[in-house]
Amino acid sequence: MDEYVTGIVTLLAVNCIAALGVSLFTGFTGIFTLGHAGYMAIGAYTSAILTVQYDIHWLPAILAGGTLAMIIAYLIGLPTLKLVGDYYTIASLGLGEAIRLVIENWNSVTRGARGYPGIDGYTTLPIAFAFLIVMAIGMFYLVNSNFGRAFKACRDDYVAASLLGFNTARYRVFSLAISGFYCGVSGALLAGFMSFIQPVMFDMAKSTELVSVVVFGGLGSMSGCLIGTTILTLVTELFRPISQYRMLIYGMVLVLVMVLRPEGIMGTNELNRAFFRKLLPRGRAAGEEAQ
Amino acid sequence: MDLIQQTVNGLSLGSVYALIAVGYSLVYSILLFSNFAHGGFLVIGGYICYYALRSLNAGIWLAGAVALIGAGLSAVVVEKLAYKPIRERTSVTLYMLIASMGMSIVIENIFVVTIGGRFRALPPVIPTQSVDILGVATVSAADLLSLATAVVFLVALQLFLSRTKWGLAIRAASYNLRVAGLMGVNVGRLISIVFFVAGLLAAVGGIFLSVKYTLYPQLGSMITTKAFVGAVIGGLGSLPGAVIGSLILGLAEMLAAGYISSQFRDLIVFGLLIVTLIVRPAGLFGKSVGEKV
Amino acid sequence: MRKLLVTLLFVSVFAAGAAFAAEPIKIGYLAALTGDYAAYGQTEVNMAKMVVGDVNKAGGVLGRPLELVIYDTKTRNEDAVNAVRRMIESDKVVAIIGANSSGINIATAPIVDKGKVPQISTVGTNPLVTVDNKGKVRPYSFRICFTDPYQGALAADLAMTTLKKDKAAVLYNVGSDYAHGLREFFVQDYKKLGGQIVADEGYRETDVDFRAQLTKIKNSGANVLFLPGMGKDMALIIKQSQDLGLSNMTIIGADGYGEFMNEIAGDSMKGTYWVNHTYLEDPVMAPIFARYKEVYKDDCKEFVNGTMAYDAAYWLIDAIKRAGKAEGPAIAKALEDTKGLKLNHAVLTINPTDHNPLRKAGIILRVGDDLKAKFYQKVEPK
Repeated sequence: MDEYVTGIVTLLAVNCIAALGVSLFTGFTGIFTLGHAGYMAIGAYTSAILTVQYDIHWLPAILAGGTLAMIIAYLIGLPTLKLVGDYYTIASLGLGEAIRLVIENWNSVTRGARGYPGIDGYTTLPIAFAFLIVMAIGMFYLVNSNFGRAFKACRDDYVAASLLGFNTARYRVFSLAISGFYCGVSGALLAGFMSFIQPVMFDMAKSTELVSVVVFGGLGSMSGCLIGTTILTLVTELFRPISQYRMLIYGMVLVLVMVLRPEGIMGTNELNRAFFRKLLPRGRAAGEEAQ
Repeated sequence: MDLIQQTVNGLSLGSVYALIAVGYSLVYSILLFSNFAHGGFLVIGGYICYYALRSLNAGIWLAGAVALIGAGLSAVVVEKLAYKPIRERTSVTLYMLIASMGMSIVIENIFVVTIGGRFRALPPVIPTQSVDILGVATVSAADLLSLATAVVFLVALQLFLSRTKWGLAIRAASYNLRVAGLMGVNVGRLISIVFFVAGLLAAVGGIFLSVKYTLYPQLGSMITTKAFVGAVIGGLGSLPGAVIGSLILGLAEMLAAGYISSQFRDLIVFGLLIVTLIVRPAGLFGKSVGEKV
Repeated sequence: MRKLLVTLLFVSVFAAGAAFAAEPIKIGYLAALTGDYAAYGQTEVNMAKMVVGDVNKAGGVLGRPLELVIYDTKTRNEDAVNAVRRMIESDKVVAIIGANSSGINIATAPIVDKGKVPQISTVGTNPLVTVDNKGKVRPYSFRICFTDPYQGALAADLAMTTLKKDKAAVLYNVGSDYAHGLREFFVQDYKKLGGQIVADEGYRETDVDFRAQLTKIKNSGANVLFLPGMGKDMALIIKQSQDLGLSNMTIIGADGYGEFMNEIAGDSMKGTYWVNHTYLEDPVMAPIFARYKEVYKDDCKEFVNGTMAYDAAYWLIDAIKRAGKAEGPAIAKALEDTKGLKLNHAVLTINPTDHNPLRKAGIILRVGDDLKAKFYQKVEPK
């Protein structure tokens, strides 16, 4: 396979992992975030510094990146998740940017705004996909477990859930922490793919990209999230050479999806047998009607 | 000496933020969503002014007027195209927020694709020589002008809101849009007017920013984020709050850059945002946001 | 027997035909065509296209035509890294010219090393472009310009010895490898000459307002301001320094100079000094600039970038000829072995231990009242 195509598919897998994380927080727990690129940055820089400066193998480095991102997400979540609705969104924007700026100013450790070059290219296609499969399965079980139900309860009716005895605050923070882990791992894999990271790669535009992909695919649908990531990643990467139009098309897609089909491609459905069965009988009935 | 100069710097920066933050807050007060595309109106105003000056050889007053009206109209168009369909279908403001992010990307990139991303320096129609203030501070003449213009427009806005019929309607709608509609206000037209005014104010800011920092498609997004923080500090939905919050932000930025470190400037901006949201999410003048559970 | 002769005839005709329709030698060109550094990059690409056109008309190299594969970095390191990856993996180039920015070449160095494709930087002056941070030379990274330790020393000398300004302020872009390095070298040498650094301020890549830093600089009592940067922010700084009443402070910049800065800074550019690689009035370059004007109907405004791109292209072509084959490793070796190659702006000899050109002169420019950068002084290396 053409090395360039391999590259795009690898990048796709990496983006999917981050999208899964955001999907858990925004889609399944119902909290809209504009700052998750910050957690990717933490994962990326941790892994980069560990592998380049301290010669640590990539596997523990990636996991360390994800874990650090998770811990920071947890600590940040404790004071800020008491904010409601739009206010948390705004705070998340500030937090994402603040994380990025801290990395940018910490010259001695991260080389600051100049970026961190020379990272070993440890993210190969099989490794990226291995991570994706393991983490996707994990997410699937999480979402369908009791935890998952608690998250969905927080999303669907925050008030009712707390009245029913769910410690909604705790679940929201857990959700944030886990999504932080996913984004951290994704960031670490991205560092190993690009061999070069810069704080500006994890700015608000990246956070917006993460959320858009999830909304595009369908809030509350794991398979939708993966489909959405695939479509948008392919569009942006294939269009990179004629890239002036790339961002324009991306923006237009965003607006069109919101105007025409805000629930996203998959809505809250998953790509499973029930979904396909729903499609078919309608077709059959329409056929019968036509007769 | 130094403190006064930095303060003057801060106020002049803050006054430009204020123009943009006010338009932003105005839209929020009515529709309760953050219009991230606001920066786009700023850039549209800047480009219209630039082309009026360059190609049509118009004077600054005519070019400015055309730019203001053009930006206002484009704001109305954006509203009708992207927000109205969503607003009519659902009350979830999240979707409009995402659509606004999309629109901001679209507007920025329409310019990149058609006109090109290279910066454009406006012809020197606004005087920029340095002016000495009583020997204690030096400002560019353009800064003084932008401060004065900001004041003029804000006062005009205040008069509009307090003395005219539509102003009254807007103030009513900011309390409760639906009830205002029930009381006979044409909600569709009200929203159009609000967006027109927001676009117009953004364009004023846009012209001054283009003169100072050159005009390029990304000019809007950068400054709007800061103005947004100013609006939040002052209290989203409150217009005096937007002005005061912006001035505070401009001052904080300059003083931080002057006395701590220039690199930490942006960190201070976002730090202030987070602190405000944690300590008092409603900002200085906003309505108190209580959690009902 | 006749059949054999006829077959031989056919085969030889085919072979000759194949040689005429020879496969092109692909050379990648990495430049900023959009974004803040577009002025530099567009000039470079124009010059490169002109060279390739001329060379192909004269029969190509090793009997094959040259093909330029141009990628836009959009003034973003991330896009440059992607572009280089594509050039090597998809387009299969044998060499890359560009970029003009140290940061980009430092980021792409590991990639060209892995892909075994030599990369020549036109104006990337930071030492790390050709040598890694453990001091080892990067086998596939080269440059045609001098490096920042030399440039910093020239600037310090200009400030302290020539212009006799003993209190310096520095304002630099914290996001640029180039600015970081150059600042370090300037400060080192300036202090050695007995000067005093009274202000050392930084700014971020996206900043457009420098009044806070300039106010501090004004109050520090500096009589010279050193700007180790490039691009639009330089022009904004120079303009804003005049706004704040700093017009009697001498401003010294380095090879980040660009004539496009006049658009923004206008008259505040008058009297600024720039350490650079070449000068507009160079008689050797005059016919080349004239041709540029003929082909592109515009003056070669960023003449430094134009000159370096032109010479880098001819250097690469010379290396391909000496290597005898259009393959990355062979070309890299030929580049490394360059000795006494007569180019337009200088005679090029490469030091094999660090891939840097030896004995390059520095040219000091001064912007005159007509806003053009004029020759002021030439400094030969000691």
